[in-house]
Amino acid sequence: MSAAVDSLASAVRKQEQGLLNCVHCGFCLPACPTYRRLGDEADSPRGRLYLMQAVVEGRLDPGAEAFQTHIGRCLGCRACEPVCPSGVEYGQLLELARQVGGNARRPPVFSRVLLRVFGTAWLARPAMFAGRVARATGLPALLTRIMAGRRPPKGARLAVAMLAASAPPPPLPSRTEDPPATVPRRLDAAKPTVGVLTGCVQAGLFARVNQATVRVLQANGYHVVSVPNQECCGALHAHGGDLEAARSLARRNIVAFEAARVDIVAMNASGCGAAMADYGSLLADDEAMASRARAFAGKVRDISQLLADRGPVPGGTVPLKVTYDAPCHLLHAQGVADPPSRVLDSIPGLEVVPLPGAAECCGGAGIYGLTNPRLGGWIGSDKVQSVLGTGASALVTGNPGCMMQIGAGLALTGAGIPVLHLVELLDESYRRGGLYGNAGG
Amino acid sequence: MIDAAVDRAGPVLAVLPESQVLVAETARDWAGGRPGEAGWMPSDADAPAVVFPASVEEVAALIRVANETGARLLPAGLGSWLGAGGWTRAGEVIVSCMRLNAVQHYEPADLTLTADAGLGLTEVEDLLLPNGQWLAVDAPGAGAGTLGGMVACGVSGALQGRYGAIRDNVLGVDVVTGAGRVLRIGGRVVKNVAGYDLVRLFTGSRGSLGIITSVSVRLFPRPEADVTLCYVGGAGEIVALARNVCTSPLPIAAVELEGGRESGETVCRVRLLGSGGEVEEVRSRLVDAAGLKPRQILRADESAALHGDRAAWEEGSALVVRLAALPDRLADTFDRGLALAGALGGEVAADALGGVVRVKASPDAARDEDVAGELSRAREVVEAVGGTMTLSQARGEVAARAGWTGRRGSGTALGDRIKKLFDPASILAARCP
Amino acid sequence: MVPATLAKSLVGICGRDGVILDEERLLVYESDALTAYRHRPGAVVLPRSTEQVQGAVRAVAEHGLPIVPRGAGTGLSGGAVALDGAVVIGTARMNRILNIDAPNRRAVLQPGVINAELSEAARVHGLYYAPDPSSQTTCTIGGNVAENSGGPHCLKYGVTSRYVTGLAVVLADGSLVKLGGQGRESPGYDLVGLFVGSEGCFGIATEIEVGLLPVPEGVRTLLGIFDRIDDAGQAVSDIVAAGLLPAALEIIDGPTIRAVEDSVFAAGYPTDAEAALVIEFDGMEAGLDHDVERAAVLCERAGAREVRSARDEDERMALWKGRKKAFGAMGRIAPDLLVQDATVPRTTLPSILRGISDIGQRYDLVVANVFHAGDGNLHPNILFDRRDEHELERVERASKEIMQLCVDSGGTITGEHGVGLDKKHHMELIYGPDELDAMWRVRRVFDPGGVMNPGKVLPEDTIPSEDTVLPVGTGGD
Repeated sequence: MSAAVDSLASAVRKQEQGLLNCVHCGFCLPACPTYRRLGDEADSPRGRLYLMQAVVEGRLDPGAEAFQTHIGRCLGCRACEPVCPSGVEYGQLLELARQVGGNARRPPVFSRVLLRVFGTAWLARPAMFAGRVARATGLPALLTRIMAGRRPPKGARLAVAMLAASAPPPPLPSRTEDPPATVPRRLDAAKPTVGVLTGCVQAGLFARVNQATVRVLQANGYHVVSVPNQECCGALHAHGGDLEAARSLARRNIVAFEAARVDIVAMNASGCGAAMADYGSLLADDEAMASRARAFAGKVRDISQLLADRGPVPGGTVPLKVTYDAPCHLLHAQGVADPPSRVLDSIPGLEVVPLPGAAECCGGAGIYGLTNPRLGGWIGSDKVQSVLGTGASALVTGNPGCMMQIGAGLALTGAGIPVLHLVELLDESYRRGGLYGNAGG
Repeated sequence: MIDAAVDRAGPVLAVLPESQVLVAETARDWAGGRPGEAGWMPSDADAPAVVFPASVEEVAALIRVANETGARLLPAGLGSWLGAGGWTRAGEVIVSCMRLNAVQHYEPADLTLTADAGLGLTEVEDLLLPNGQWLAVDAPGAGAGTLGGMVACGVSGALQGRYGAIRDNVLGVDVVTGAGRVLRIGGRVVKNVAGYDLVRLFTGSRGSLGIITSVSVRLFPRPEADVTLCYVGGAGEIVALARNVCTSPLPIAAVELEGGRESGETVCRVRLLGSGGEVEEVRSRLVDAAGLKPRQILRADESAALHGDRAAWEEGSALVVRLAALPDRLADTFDRGLALAGALGGEVAADALGGVVRVKASPDAARDEDVAGELSRAREVVEAVGGTMTLSQARGEVAARAGWTGRRGSGTALGDRIKKLFDPASILAARCP
Repeated sequence: MVPATLAKSLVGICGRDGVILDEERLLVYESDALTAYRHRPGAVVLPRSTEQVQGAVRAVAEHGLPIVPRGAGTGLSGGAVALDGAVVIGTARMNRILNIDAPNRRAVLQPGVINAELSEAARVHGLYYAPDPSSQTTCTIGGNVAENSGGPHCLKYGVTSRYVTGLAVVLADGSLVKLGGQGRESPGYDLVGLFVGSEGCFGIATEIEVGLLPVPEGVRTLLGIFDRIDDAGQAVSDIVAAGLLPAALEIIDGPTIRAVEDSVFAAGYPTDAEAALVIEFDGMEAGLDHDVERAAVLCERAGAREVRSARDEDERMALWKGRKKAFGAMGRIAPDLLVQDATVPRTTLPSILRGISDIGQRYDLVVANVFHAGDGNLHPNILFDRRDEHELERVERASKEIMQLCVDSGGTITGEHGVGLDKKHHMELIYGPDELDAMWRVRRVFDPGGVMNPGKVLPEDTIPSEDTVLPVGTGGD
């Protein structure tokens, strides 16, 4: 038995001893986006756990097509976790299973290259730069417009559309008759020190979101410090089964944030947030780092939680009809359900309409849309249809992957509905409200 | 031929002591005379005997001898529904279970009753009343029938929407099959999925598969309040009102219609059953909402008594036709019923929630030579819109002339095989339409 | 492994992605929610239409292989386990609601529709589907039809068979037969009622017509906390005797309370209590508070330590969530559990509960009880660890004794989970040779060749001998 299988086996056993074992009740089936569409038990959480169990029991070779295909097809959205009455920690087992699968059979070149790029700063920076340059040419946007309305997005078309979707949204409407609100700046005696994870994709393609994050945190009375030497969070590596790379990135991040002496690690990408909140278990077997990792994980908070804790401070009017899609790694993995709506509800003039199926994965799931184009495209277009059905003029969410996935899908329909990060919207409200010193309009 | 049939019946009659056998005139009086009209039997010779077994063993013995001799048996209770499952022909022996009438098990707190099939429904009511319970079933003609007869016929009244059809209230039966096997199926617990649901198969099988000797039923607590709102008017407005009541989300126990009377008026009775507060609330909302004011509001015993009376609507009829279609077709179905009633000189009653319209022919019309023609025409119209038409009472000559028991569905082949299974020698004369 | 010719024709009928042949991919179909039984099917077919089901059934039958229908695989009696390399026909992809006919309060659906999703879809019309098994968020209507599923609310509203009004059934020879439909009034034998609860032995329902009910205007949920389970049982009897008709009466015992409270579905039951009685009333707002008050008084009189009512919808849902997910939450207190499903006459509940507790003590086992007290439908869960062989043996003996105890009190071996593979040898506890013979013969009417779900429901040693089998035709029409 390989070391990877051993660690999966020991995790399964640990969950068994903690009595978090799967009792095969099947409650997770309808929560799973892949099972809902494919109807095959092997594409359900219960089925995947059964395959993992079979590997542990030595009944199934992890290199087998069945294991590779069905473990590979999991979005990792963890929608199965909240509905599991036995409390199976599926996400954790999935990462171990991916490691087992990856050891048994090398993942495709494409995924390996992509993960390598994200995990290596000197590779990521030029790649993101190239992405921004390409985006700045306007070519992706043009291509996306040309391709609009055709088949569901996948492969290169999806990649181009995703790049286009990462561009800043067009100016948001304002109500001229409304005078800019003047809100006294809220000053708080205790100012917690916050470090923001700038992230790889976020820093590369969504720098504006990072900047907005800093501004809205400051407006809400947080002391924001910069954290040099931070790295990619390692989520994509862990999801892809490259746990060693994920651990190495985690160690470096812990050191970097410790050096900056922060009270809180603020996340504006929920995929990263879920991964970092999990550093404690990722490094549980690393004697030197285990307790530091647990302490670090305890400081991880999503931006929506930090804002909701403070109200948030109200800003100016944004007369817009929006709908909100809950990122899986925020809702399912971190159990953060209310804070984003509380932030939205605080914005004057904003009309929030419910999104049917908001709790379901958009199919972005890290690099899923690129590795499982057909199924990812199917799931993605269901999400897009649901958004269009609400009649909202913008979609709000809280994770760059989701923004690009849904944004690409929406762009390809030609409907002209932008995807905004929660903090972008609040930031705009603050700008209009004059919270940053100069009254906007 | 008739003599041969009578000969075959001889050994069957010999199974029981003479005191449990009626023949000739007395037999005809028993079977035909019940609701007061003679002449339901085609001729004297056709009703040779009625036998009254007093134990399951005697029922089994009758069936065994019938299998040996080829005699044909017609299961019955008090004889009130004889017209429902078929009709006697020459040489057939009516097997009445009225002497099997013991209460086997009644534990009020369990809300279940197990009793012999021949126990009269009025006795059942008397038994349950002191404990504040009832059998929430209003089968047409229930007043004159037995528990076993009600289950065998399986014809539900207007309360079925609220309390379930008869088959939903039967928990178990003991039956002697046409092949002579004694089966005890189901049980006396309210939830039971052990094995195939043969209880449902025998419920409503009209005595064509076996003779039911014992029945377990589910009981309900008698509702605190019983109120009936009576509306009277022209057929069109009353049917529309009934549909409005049916589609409202209010908890309504039953909505019944009656029409085709000489006065030309149609009556709608909306029955409310439940806790006092709920019934009063529903009553006041209905009175406010319906465009029409109720002509009369009956409460408590008066309301219950009215429904007791109405249950007798079919009793004594020579011909009752049951038309059923989806409830939203009520207006059409009711019109069809009125037209048929016009042709047969009879009256119409309907269960609006269930979409069931019953037509009762006048005694004269039932003897009319052309009755079969009228029925065929009506049936074609009803079936064309996906409805069904069955004869729920058709006695003697009428049935023989009508010669027809409704549409045969695509499950018929399965049904025929089931009949063959339980009654291989076809000694049971009853038919299930 | 199925013969290559069969594999080829199945792929021809259901498409490449509709047939699973790979041994390793078939692994996950070894079990339903009762994992004590593991049998790998020969193949799994996932059809999308009635025609594909017919084609698949015909092809499999021609090759002389058995067929096992499967819904969501949430059954608790091993009914969807494929014995002897049977081909599983799964209905997960047949999940469309074909029609919601609001004026007639009925719906027509494919078998793979999830129970709770039907109610959700009907709600815009002010209607819902009443039978609500605890697994309703995941189990399918097809599976409900096969098992005649119950649920907490069948005390007032009855079980699945009351609501199924029509079926299109694919028989073992691939023929399609329509039973009932267009409402409940149909002439002839009640073949719809006979089919419901036939556990996949009579055919595969590919279209199901069900009745819907108007959503009650108001709902009130009460929770009585008791220090003695007998007192909770007494409260149930008193409520029924008082003529109240709650929509549900559920008891959760001490060990179960503690399991639920320890899970993600914690509902706020006090963990030192020995019984929680959930009482629900529904109907018009006007009458509800009166009923609730009467029930609360009866609980207090029976010795309730505390009676509280859910203050809002969230609390109400939480109360129910704890009850409904109790089975899954059991995984929190032991690695394995054996769920039983006996029904007993309601009045025998207190003595039966004492008897079960005695049996548990005698065999040194923890037995956690969750049950539909209003119906007398018990779910004793025996907790154990299968890796301990001695314990496993004690579990089996205790299980049999509990079953016998319930049968002796006038009860039955299964109230809603079905017989399946698990309880077929208990059938002889309640039925004699004649009844079992009759059931075998009725089964043969639908399935002369014994193709559909063989090895389930009826014990093989009660098969009627060949010479007494009556000749039957083939297929329906």
